[in-house]
Amino acid sequence: MNLNTKATAQNTYDAIVVGSGISGGWAAKELTEKGLKVLLLERGRNIEHIKDYTTAMKKPWEFEHRGRLTEAQKASHPVQKRDYPYQEFNESFWVNDLDCPYTEIKRFDWYRGFHVGGKSLMWGRQSYRLSDLNFEENAKDGHGVDWPIRYKDIAPWYDYVEKFAGISGSNENYPHFPDGHFLPPMEMNCVEKSVKERIEKKYNRGRIMTMGRTANLTVEHGGRGSCQYRNLCSRGCPFGAYFSTQSSTLPAAVATGNLTLRPFSLVNEIIYDKETQKAKGVRIIDSETNEHIEYFAKIVFVNGSTLGSTFLLLNSTSPEHPNGLGNGSGELGHNLMDHHFRCGASGQAEGFDDKYTYGKRANGVYIPRYRNVGNDKRDYVRGFGYQGGASRSGWHNDIAELAFGGDFKDLISTPGIWSMGLGGFGESLPYHENRVYIDKSKKDKWGQPVLAIDCEFKDNEAKMRIDMMNDAAEMLEDAGIKNVKTYDNGSMPGMAIHEMGTARMGLDPKTSVLNKWNQMHEVKNVFVTDGSCMPSTACQNPSLTYMALTARACDFAVTELKKGNI
Amino acid sequence: MDRREAVKSVAFLIGGALSATTIATLFDSCNEPGKNSENLFTSDQEKLISEIADIIIPTTAKSPGAKAANVGPFISMMIKECYPEDAQKAFVKGLENIETRSKKDFGKSFLEISVKEREQLITKVRDETVAAQKVESDANEKAMKLEMDIERNKPEKERANPTAVKDPQKTTPQFFAIARDLTMLGYFTSEVGATQAYEYVQIPGRYDGCVDLKPGQRVWA
Repeated sequence: MNLNTKATAQNTYDAIVVGSGISGGWAAKELTEKGLKVLLLERGRNIEHIKDYTTAMKKPWEFEHRGRLTEAQKASHPVQKRDYPYQEFNESFWVNDLDCPYTEIKRFDWYRGFHVGGKSLMWGRQSYRLSDLNFEENAKDGHGVDWPIRYKDIAPWYDYVEKFAGISGSNENYPHFPDGHFLPPMEMNCVEKSVKERIEKKYNRGRIMTMGRTANLTVEHGGRGSCQYRNLCSRGCPFGAYFSTQSSTLPAAVATGNLTLRPFSLVNEIIYDKETQKAKGVRIIDSETNEHIEYFAKIVFVNGSTLGSTFLLLNSTSPEHPNGLGNGSGELGHNLMDHHFRCGASGQAEGFDDKYTYGKRANGVYIPRYRNVGNDKRDYVRGFGYQGGASRSGWHNDIAELAFGGDFKDLISTPGIWSMGLGGFGESLPYHENRVYIDKSKKDKWGQPVLAIDCEFKDNEAKMRIDMMNDAAEMLEDAGIKNVKTYDNGSMPGMAIHEMGTARMGLDPKTSVLNKWNQMHEVKNVFVTDGSCMPSTACQNPSLTYMALTARACDFAVTELKKGNI
Repeated sequence: MDRREAVKSVAFLIGGALSATTIATLFDSCNEPGKNSENLFTSDQEKLISEIADIIIPTTAKSPGAKAANVGPFISMMIKECYPEDAQKAFVKGLENIETRSKKDFGKSFLEISVKEREQLITKVRDETVAAQKVESDANEKAMKLEMDIERNKPEKERANPTAVKDPQKTTPQFFAIARDLTMLGYFTSEVGATQAYEYVQIPGRYDGCVDLKPGQRVWA
């Protein structure tokens, strides 16, 4: 008995954070800075900042397959290989799909990275605030449930996280595109500047093109170095020049002396205590030894990625919560969303043959949403934004098909055509029937059941894509771009790696899982602040919103804890 | 504005420029995985690969060629490790074909004919490849149009989801297209190609979006 008590005491913290990616890193930072002893649990291995970015300084010729995948890698990564993110350049950051299978009722591309930092190491870094247009839209058009917050509730927290993370960009004073606390923007190249000027003139600033707002530092910030313009971010940045758990939140949490980080800790269940009606801790599987261990805390933050978190909640059953923790509403696992993209237009810019660029900018331009805004009414609801950019390659117009030889080599070694493209990122609606649930017919490497995913885009998304394609072409043509071609390469849910929903926030415990503080309606000391909490997707890249919601929830949780309310 | 002619534009933002053949070869999940056989090529074939690569990217006054960048062994390794079985077979067959034709046209092995003769032979193979790919892509396009017509005539409920990614159309792996792809990849990412044909700056340190093009400016590696 004594031994058990001692073990329990040793395994007891003030707070447990499940997952060390973008939102988990923030939770660890905020909670430790507020004085809580925090256990940060990460299912994968540790990756130490800089030291473990093993490919970051490699030259192109130091990659045996020059970035491409071997047949062996394709065999062990049948999902990760479906699209471009999984390459030789950072292959160790992506999961072996055979270890962690899932059931695709319909195709869903699930990109995962099991390691400290999670996808904060590989993310696209585009960082945009949501606006009241987004927060009010569910209530206005009746899709999904109303967001329990409005812009004024989250605005100070956007300020807070932007100041710490370091987001570069321009303030634009454009409707429904809130400005923020930005480091100087990166520079547009001469083609982009020209396109911007012509689009904004044509639409009288009814449409604007701004520099991408990105979590890359354009000046030194918070002890981190500025961007060196190598465009190799997804390998990990040796200069700490983009926001990741490793570069930013983890060092802050460690500095408090209040953090215990435990890698190889796959959280399998949140333990519910029916006496207190709260969670008393978590049960983990040591992912190296398969040992099962329990940890205890007053509060639990769930930040295991959208579907990782929802799996954990669904897998945490008890007589009081037979369908998953805090799932009295039955909404847990439902309303899965992702952005749809891979649709737009591109063409050639003429008149800039005497201009070139220096350095590689890991960023592009952005056109914020203008559809279904104000008096604009389309045959679909919601809208899209564009990401794009111009660049000059070695390709020249007069090259014959499958050309070869010395002249060909010399020609393509010189700067050739300028091309400019715009690709839409569209909002998808929260459909109740787009859902995940636990499939007990399969087991993963650690003996857990797996997730079944049943999700598809529908008519509203299909209609929006026609605009995404045609508007892009129209704007490029308006801007003088030649030989404009549209494309729609199709988009499967999961591909944008912006999966959201499945544990949504809401005002009503009957129709939502979390309240306006990301607190479970039914289990007051459990907070879920990753993408699973989102009642709608908007069309902006979502990670900045997870950061802000996490910091806000941490502030609330600690206040409540101090008041003795949880 | 009718913009139904959607073009295959893979990943504009990543700056990748893969040919249709490469995309079909690398991403087609229906293919049997390649077997990494040490003995896939004879030693003469390995030499042949190096020589063909050096015809595709030869030394010029401006920069060294594929041989100087050791592209031949790179291609052999890539075919063994990164290509499905049907592409491996097509590649070996393509090498055999080059050798047979060299003997027929010039009475000697490809390894023994002059650079001019090699260029002639490779030009023929290239032209045939372009023609074969055209026939195939026309057929594929026709099949796709037919499929779309059938789709349109289905009741709405049975139609495929219009937002879905379509399976890539099956294309026959073409020896020359693969050889050229790998020669270009191997060369321009080699130290020789990246620093002498292209210009390589490991740490640019800044971004300048509008610089005057210098005479003799090369593409950034």
